[in-house]
Amino acid sequence: MTEKYKTLNQKIEELDNQVEWFYSDDFKLDQATEKYKKATKLAKEIDVDLKNLKNEIEILAEDFSK
Amino acid sequence: MENNFTPTELVALVNQTLEYAYSAVLLTGEVASFKVNQEKWVFFDIKDEESSISCFMPVWSLRMPLEDGMKVVVRGTPKLTRWGKFSFTATAVQPVGEGSLKKAFELLKKKLSGEGLFDINKKRPIPADLTRLGVISSTQAAGYHDFIKIINARWGGMKVYTAHTQVQGMDAPDQIMRALKYFNERGDVQMIAILRGGGSADDLSCFNDEALVRAIAASKIPVITGIGHEVDETLCDLAADVRASTPSNAAEMLTPDREEEMIKVYRALKQCHQTILQKAEWAQNENASKVKKVSQGLISKYIEPMLKSNADKMQYALQKVQSECENAQNMIFNKLRLLEALNPEKILRQGYAILTGKVSPGDVVKITTFKQEIKAEVKEIYDRKI
Repeated sequence: MTEKYKTLNQKIEELDNQVEWFYSDDFKLDQATEKYKKATKLAKEIDVDLKNLKNEIEILAEDFSK
Repeated sequence: MENNFTPTELVALVNQTLEYAYSAVLLTGEVASFKVNQEKWVFFDIKDEESSISCFMPVWSLRMPLEDGMKVVVRGTPKLTRWGKFSFTATAVQPVGEGSLKKAFELLKKKLSGEGLFDINKKRPIPADLTRLGVISSTQAAGYHDFIKIINARWGGMKVYTAHTQVQGMDAPDQIMRALKYFNERGDVQMIAILRGGGSADDLSCFNDEALVRAIAASKIPVITGIGHEVDETLCDLAADVRASTPSNAAEMLTPDREEEMIKVYRALKQCHQTILQKAEWAQNENASKVKKVSQGLISKYIEPMLKSNADKMQYALQKVQSECENAQNMIFNKLRLLEALNPEKILRQGYAILTGKVSPGDVVKITTFKQEIKAEVKEIYDRKI
């Protein structure tokens, strides 16, 4: 799935992974600022998505009475 | 004019009339003389205080356990048999009244439980990334509207497909089963929610239908039920993968709260920030400690031995210098003593005198004593006898 079409949950999962890096053995102080900036950017995207995303409700045309 | 019929004609006419006038009849009463023949046909009577009607139905149409004494509602059509007996061909049976409902519930629960339909190990969780949901409910029901309102308030980005069915009455189980089959065949939803708001035990009894319970247990797609109120428990709830107490509760279980999620997101970022600061501080301390350790290593490896070596050398040199100084000092002292001994002043002090000048009779010489200088004339010169 491309960056553009990531779902909200996928973005949250990605952020979780990014945050996990800070607590992992892979943590490197010289990369931390860049990673933090990236996580902040993603968090802002999630914030926008959370405020704007709406559910799409479709009532099926099928007749289940027969 | 009187009509003249053969028995076959009369039976056919009566049945035609019955079918026209009473194509679908609900018959409510108490079960009596219940029996199953050859595991194919079910026979029982429905009676009240005054009358009794014989009923029969194929065994597969019976979707609840029956026992004599249970109060039920039977759907069917009245018929006259070719032997001239009145019969009621049943197509569906449902228990009515608290006692019968409870009895039917317990009997079916025991049976299906024995088959492992409610096995807790078979339960599947709600998918973590739920974006496509199938809903089976009546779109007119308040419970359904509560559900939609709550999921819209809590979350976004989901595609919800709603299959409108009856959620009470004798037709409800078949309609719900058709919708279940539809979603399973379609295969693009991640979870199916069966929803129905609160109601009486009779209203909810369709959710104890054996075929429906089996269909839920057999669904390839996980099923969540939100039926009735907190206190209500149906066999569909037991067969479902996840049981919510109400439609609203189902909405809460299926969707995270967007505000809580945002708080979590920013809290996680804050923790990352703190982690960076903390690890930077640790790194600083660690570097300082490393520098100290390295410098201590260098000191002990190079400086200290060098200092020690120099100190030894210096000590040796010092001792040597001291020794040479002492020697020189002694030599000087001896020379000084010698010089002192040879000092004319010291000789003069001892009472001697120094004679200077040409010593010939008649010459004037200078005689120096400790305190005086004397000019004297040489009178005579002769050798000393030593």
